[in-house]
Amino acid sequence: MPTVSSRGDAMRGLAVFISDIRNCKSKEAESKRINKELANIRSKFKGDKTLDGYSKKKYVCKLLFIFLLGHDIDFGHMEAVNLLSSNKYTEKQIGYLFISVLVSSNSDLMKLIIQNIKNDISSPKPVHVNLALHCIANIGSAEMSEAFGQEVPKLLVSAHASESVKQSAALCLLRLIRTLPDAMTYAEWASRVIHLLNDQHMGVVTSAASLIHTLSQLSPGDYKGCVSLAVSRLSRIVTSTYTDLQDYTYYFVPAPWLSVKLLRLLQCYPVPEEPAVRGRLVECLETILNKCQEPPKSKKVQHSNSKNAVLFEAINLIIHIDSEPNLLVRACNQLGQFLQHRETNLRYLALESMCLLAGSEFSADAVKKHRETVINALKTERDVSVRQRAVDLLYAMCDKTNSEEIVAEMLAYLKKADYAIREEMVLKVAILSEKYASDYTWYVDTILQLIRVAGDYVSEEVWHRVIQIVINRDDAQGYAAKTVFENLQAPACHENMVKVGGYILGEFGNLIAGDERSSPLVQFNLLHSKFHLCTPSTRALLLSTYIKFINLFPEIKQTIQNVLQNDNQLRNADVELQQRALEYSQLSSITSQDVLATVLEEMPPFPERESSILAKLKKKKPASVQAIEKEEEKMKKSPPSIENHVNVPKEVPANTNSVDLLGLSTPPATPQQSTNSLLVDVFGSVDQPVAPKPESNISKSETAGSVDPEAAQNKSNLLFSRFLFKNSGVLFENNLIQVGVKCEFKEHTGRVGLFFGNKTGNQLQNFSASVSMGADLQGKVNIAPQKEAPTQIDGGAQVQHFVNLECITFFSGSPNLQLRYQHASTPQQVTLKLPVIINKFMEGTNMPAADFFNRWKQLGQPVQETQKIFQANHPIDTEAAKTKLTGFGMSVLINVDPNPDNLVGSGIVKTKTSQIGCLLRLEPNKEAKMYRLTVRSSVGEVAALLCTMLEEHF
Amino acid sequence: MIKAILVFNNHGKPRLLRFYQHYTEEQQQQIVRETFHLVSRRDDDVCSFLEGGTLIGGSDYKLIYRHYATLYFVFCVDSSESELGILDLIQVFVETLDRCFENVCELDLIFHVDKVQYILAEIVMGGMVLETNMNDICSRFLEQDKLEKSEAGLSAAPAKAAAALKNIDLPSLPKDLKLPDLPKLPSFR
Repeated sequence: MPTVSSRGDAMRGLAVFISDIRNCKSKEAESKRINKELANIRSKFKGDKTLDGYSKKKYVCKLLFIFLLGHDIDFGHMEAVNLLSSNKYTEKQIGYLFISVLVSSNSDLMKLIIQNIKNDISSPKPVHVNLALHCIANIGSAEMSEAFGQEVPKLLVSAHASESVKQSAALCLLRLIRTLPDAMTYAEWASRVIHLLNDQHMGVVTSAASLIHTLSQLSPGDYKGCVSLAVSRLSRIVTSTYTDLQDYTYYFVPAPWLSVKLLRLLQCYPVPEEPAVRGRLVECLETILNKCQEPPKSKKVQHSNSKNAVLFEAINLIIHIDSEPNLLVRACNQLGQFLQHRETNLRYLALESMCLLAGSEFSADAVKKHRETVINALKTERDVSVRQRAVDLLYAMCDKTNSEEIVAEMLAYLKKADYAIREEMVLKVAILSEKYASDYTWYVDTILQLIRVAGDYVSEEVWHRVIQIVINRDDAQGYAAKTVFENLQAPACHENMVKVGGYILGEFGNLIAGDERSSPLVQFNLLHSKFHLCTPSTRALLLSTYIKFINLFPEIKQTIQNVLQNDNQLRNADVELQQRALEYSQLSSITSQDVLATVLEEMPPFPERESSILAKLKKKKPASVQAIEKEEEKMKKSPPSIENHVNVPKEVPANTNSVDLLGLSTPPATPQQSTNSLLVDVFGSVDQPVAPKPESNISKSETAGSVDPEAAQNKSNLLFSRFLFKNSGVLFENNLIQVGVKCEFKEHTGRVGLFFGNKTGNQLQNFSASVSMGADLQGKVNIAPQKEAPTQIDGGAQVQHFVNLECITFFSGSPNLQLRYQHASTPQQVTLKLPVIINKFMEGTNMPAADFFNRWKQLGQPVQETQKIFQANHPIDTEAAKTKLTGFGMSVLINVDPNPDNLVGSGIVKTKTSQIGCLLRLEPNKEAKMYRLTVRSSVGEVAALLCTMLEEHF
Repeated sequence: MIKAILVFNNHGKPRLLRFYQHYTEEQQQQIVRETFHLVSRRDDDVCSFLEGGTLIGGSDYKLIYRHYATLYFVFCVDSSESELGILDLIQVFVETLDRCFENVCELDLIFHVDKVQYILAEIVMGGMVLETNMNDICSRFLEQDKLEKSEAGLSAAPAKAAAALKNIDLPSLPKDLKLPDLPKLPSFR
């Protein structure tokens, strides 16, 4: 074909300039030349003489080149925008290029640019339309979405638009939808868009497939129809021998990119139900697998690459379908061949895909056959990316039968592993050894070895976890004490080992004290020999160990007291150490042995909960986790630190003040105190090792289908009651699923966003989420889902569902949210209360004192008032109470009540039919730890309801 | 989705940068440096995929790259793209450049920043793959070229001189970007 004789067409000035730059001998000379040129261009742009299009083009080109070299360009934008209105294509083109490379989406010029794009997009010349579409897509800002969200789809389905325009329009629209997914779904275009899959032009089909893929994820219902079209298109490409694929055959592979796109698209939907379509799809997949066994049609790497691109995507689809055992096993065998392939890329991808296969019940065993090869890859691969995948796969294929070998191999590899992946490996080893521990001696050995080999990479979570487990397992304690003692004898041991050792010996040192080689004094001296090499946090932990030793071994009390009373401790610059030393030495000298024994009683077992290590690993995994999930994990990253929980049972001596005095245990958090970090406090108290106080069960009708319904129930009630004061957070969580909520209310309308996160690695199928109302809400609240709820959730993924609602009139109670889904082929069901409560429709009102008292008096009839006097459930704290009332929806009025301890508030409940004013007064009695709460409202029922809702929370 | 396309030479000098998300000049240059650092120390026979650097989005993004003679072509993509597909796309891009410039070399990329960008625009648009058919891409590019010539009219004359100049100035520079038969082709079974 003819090539561009472009070497002759370059702009002369530009070529000269570039040559100059290239001839510069030094960085300084280059900068000098560039600055000279910048000054020149600036003066030309500012000069009186109007520049012709050609010169502008030339200068803009120079600027682009200078920008590429790494110099910031702060002028020329206006000139580039002027080029857009030129009649000449090339001038327009360079203008657009400059804009999409250099102009940020919040530039002042955007309005002007949009105007120019508007002109071009309606131009009769397809090349101009294309330039405009490219520019919209490249900038892809929200502003662009708003300006062209209506225009672009018209081009896409227009009968007159050329193919290249359609192709660009499809992708342009896709970009706009990604920018503002809520704003557009184009349900009305759905069937026309879907039918683009039948277009004559393969380029159009490829672009359309990308677009439909995204649309299907946003509103699966509207685009269901694409499945059968995609299958038949795929089948025409894959199975036919004669089709006219235009020029889309790439190195003997028919339309590889389109095939990949279609295979991806099909992964948005469950396997088609109609037998004919399903049969055709299976046939396609089989054909793709078969083709891999055929001799290659070309020796070029491009041929095998594109063939395998299709193959890997087909395997992903097979994994997604997860119900064709035959295909799964064939896929696994194919990948097995790749594991030994000469191409590194194929080995990498095979390891990656096999990770997914390991999760399917049909192919898990087939994957395990390749254990040797994978372990070998770990040892011999030269490329760290590949080794990383091998680690992932070993983790995924691990089970009871092979765990010891796999963990041993991973531990061995850890010694020479790349620094970048060590932390993740440590987490993985820790999880596997916990999950598959048949006897706890093995577990303890493994973790201690982990600390020895890679102590620096052992995060807090890991050593916290080993302690939790040891404390909860009677059979592991003696062995653990013995083993840490042995490990501590090494001349140099890692600080994490000292932490674990200190904690475990403090709790269970007595179990090995009988042996004179590990007598109390020996234990103490051993620990104390490490003391001075440790950081303050470890020293603080060791001090707690020492006071526990005083309790366990009265015979060495004097030795320990000497240490505690040493100036090194008592006058330590670190306040925490100083305080601990002082308080512990006082505690040990003042109190009787009985009291000491009670205070320092053995730790109670930790409540069972999801491993914090697992949470941490999840966080490290690249997944499309969204805000709520991230928040949650952030929280889990800092679990309650164990060292602070030397057991101080609350009912024990003197009074509860001793808790604070000792500073040992953070009291059970009163979550409402910190409304700033809403999500944090949701878990704040749930995750406390102290069992959560069963808070008021607001609703008793709920059923939760998790392993321990009652616990889950309590937890979900607890979570629900928080929503009285806030609008977002986690509503429910079990091992499989997490439900987050974010609500917005305005006057009598509201929108509830539900976020369903799948915590497992597998897809939750047959998912449904329906909101229903009891008889008491009928006619009082209207509820309408924005669109259909998703029907499945991929492993590790999060999906959203929005519900609009409207409050017609006053109501009590809340709507129900019913979730059904299938996990590991067992149907699960959860019923939750949706946090739509009457107070959500309340808006605070401010008013001066005089007005308040006037209204208060006006609402003086007995039916309009409800008053309750009750014991304070939480420490009396005016600020916390204020925050709570504000969260509840009331305005707290300042300087109204003569007594500053009292709080008064006012708000209006806005329903569609009426507005109900509410006034409130809260009077604490600090001595008696009591409250008096008075609520007055124009509607008596409202006053009563608000009063009842609030009383439990102060 | 493709987040960025970087082409730089063996010394890390950028020859083509295309970001589909706005970064400042400073950030762009840092990303180039970081990516160069990650990619250049890898041997030629290791795999073509690696996790992105921290500046470009960390492990949510993959760098997929090819090394041709003096140039690295690096695509930074998210998980929605097929790795091998992108690898082939790089090949399509390079082969197209080769056709349009007749044995393309690093110099062509330097002296025709604009044209290279236009060719790329025919392949990738707003971070999404637009066209993979080389014949189509080339013919669209040629169309533009024709337009340019018809519009240039008189001003084409000095351009010829420039071409001459380019050849005089830089005779010793080798045609260094040979088109890829990648080394060590495995025979695929």
